[in-house]
Amino acid sequence: MMPDEWALSEATTDRLFALASKGLLLTILIWALFPIYWMVFNSLRTRFEIVGGDPSFTEISFHYQNYIDMWSRVDLIEYFMNSLIIASVTTAIALCIACLGGYAFSRYRFPGRRYVGASLIGTQLIPGILILLPMFMLFRTFHDTVGLQLINTYQGIIFVYTTFAVPFAIWMLRGFFDTIPASLEEAARVDGCTRFQALVRIVLPLAAPGIAATGMFVFLVAFNEVLFASVMARGDVTPLSIGIQQFMERDQNYWGEMMAASTVATVPILLLFVLFQKPIVKGLTEGGVKQ
Amino acid sequence: MARVFTRLHERVSDGGLGRYLPLYSRLDEKHQYAYKLLFPALAMMFVVHFIPVVWGATISVMGVNSNYIADWTSAPFVGLEHYAFVMDPTTTIGSRYWYSISRTVLWSVGVLVGTYVLGLTAALILNQGFKGSFLVRTLLLLPWIAPAIVTLNVWRMMFLSESGIINHALMSVGLLDEPVFWLLGDRALWSMTIAHVWLQFPWVMIMLYAGLQSIPQQLYEAAAIDGAGRWGKFRYVTLPQLKPVSGVVVLLMLLWTMIDFTTPYVMFGGSPPSSVEVTMVYIYNFSFRAFAFGRGAAMSVGLFVVAMVLATIYYRRFIRSDFEEDDQ
Repeated sequence: MMPDEWALSEATTDRLFALASKGLLLTILIWALFPIYWMVFNSLRTRFEIVGGDPSFTEISFHYQNYIDMWSRVDLIEYFMNSLIIASVTTAIALCIACLGGYAFSRYRFPGRRYVGASLIGTQLIPGILILLPMFMLFRTFHDTVGLQLINTYQGIIFVYTTFAVPFAIWMLRGFFDTIPASLEEAARVDGCTRFQALVRIVLPLAAPGIAATGMFVFLVAFNEVLFASVMARGDVTPLSIGIQQFMERDQNYWGEMMAASTVATVPILLLFVLFQKPIVKGLTEGGVKQ
Repeated sequence: MARVFTRLHERVSDGGLGRYLPLYSRLDEKHQYAYKLLFPALAMMFVVHFIPVVWGATISVMGVNSNYIADWTSAPFVGLEHYAFVMDPTTTIGSRYWYSISRTVLWSVGVLVGTYVLGLTAALILNQGFKGSFLVRTLLLLPWIAPAIVTLNVWRMMFLSESGIINHALMSVGLLDEPVFWLLGDRALWSMTIAHVWLQFPWVMIMLYAGLQSIPQQLYEAAAIDGAGRWGKFRYVTLPQLKPVSGVVVLLMLLWTMIDFTTPYVMFGGSPPSSVEVTMVYIYNFSFRAFAFGRGAAMSVGLFVVAMVLATIYYRRFIRSDFEEDDQ
């Protein structure tokens, strides 16, 4: 075979390979985005169009009434606010705590480090159901002994979620801190910074993308939790994760209104993500992984 | 933010308690500082993880039921009776417990394979770096960013037998002749797996992508000189170099799926078909319907032990070296 025939065929396979992989990626992309599209699409359709006797998959009457009725069907505004308060406060506190812990983990080779590391991973395998009832009893004991009300309050559920998120957040942040050279802090120390000032003024700003990515993670943990919410966050603090299920009634499912509520819940989070996508995506892809 | 930090730091750094701890006071100042930084995290983990796990294990050997819920300490000590009962496959409860564990394993493995294959495929293609790859990467993250508590309901709606888009699509391309019940019977587990893979694959993708990005280009050049083709490079450079990241991703994915409650709860509600009654759901329904908290606790400890054994074997085999190098 002639050499240039070889060259030609290699170029062709390269092009075919590139084409095939782009096609595959496009398929995955469509699959990834379709449910989100379907949610928005169905939020603008009538009940009949969604689950009527002869359901249609293309008709849409832009039935924006869903967006009006959903507020009165369930206490949506309250659930939204509760979820936002719980998830944002959890994120803020967990990030503070995890920054300190992750930094200690990244910079110091202290005795017992391996055990602390193993217990961080260990918390990831505790089934929530095992600690649910003891947590409930413990919180009641707190209430009976020191009068601290933790069941069905913001502080209680925030405390639980913060602790759930902290171990993994430490692990993530440790990876980001590892990528920041320690010489920068040493220089700051020479210039008279205390250890803590060096952390806050030098390391944290440099780790901002990683902190944003970790924050996203923590926010999602708190926003999507249902097990503890179903037991310890009822009444006035019921979050959306529990409340949204009320669109499903025994005899009737309000799909249209539920999709409208879902869209309203998703859009601000997606907007936040798109707004901060540069640091978040950068943080997720550049640190985090310890090689 | 900075003020919160300073306040937190002051709280921790006065070191009042530390003087009374012999082990702690023997540490040098630098390492004491590390423990001060870790103190809030460790204290919270102690209250939320450690105490309740010990407490849960205690309940599992006591006869706690609805009579004793207000005053569990006076419940009788029953030893390992609950364990013997819930693990006895000849009773209804015991056989359902074992069945739920087998469903959990099947589900976790299914999710692991699905997320890993999809995540790796997407990461490899993204890693080729083309125009607009940042946009694609961002868009592919959306299933993970959009709240699971709402997207799982969308999946539930798409899986409906009569009015769901999935049956409609499969029938219109001729893959199905008549509507299939995706949310009932054995198929429900696959539906739940698909939905959960959709939720989680972006995380796997982004972790593996980060791993791919950190592989030095020289390794590929060296492999090319040695005559490795596309497959050879993947087999002898990419896969071995990805091993540390893969180790962590596989472990976490497996564990997180085993103890996940959100997906089955949101997709199937309070009374799921038995095929998706994974252990978390089974224990939840069992404990809170029968008020048999002692037995429920024994089941939970069982699940914890299964997760721990799996994780320990895996950790020793694939991950420990990473931590040990650190300690040198």
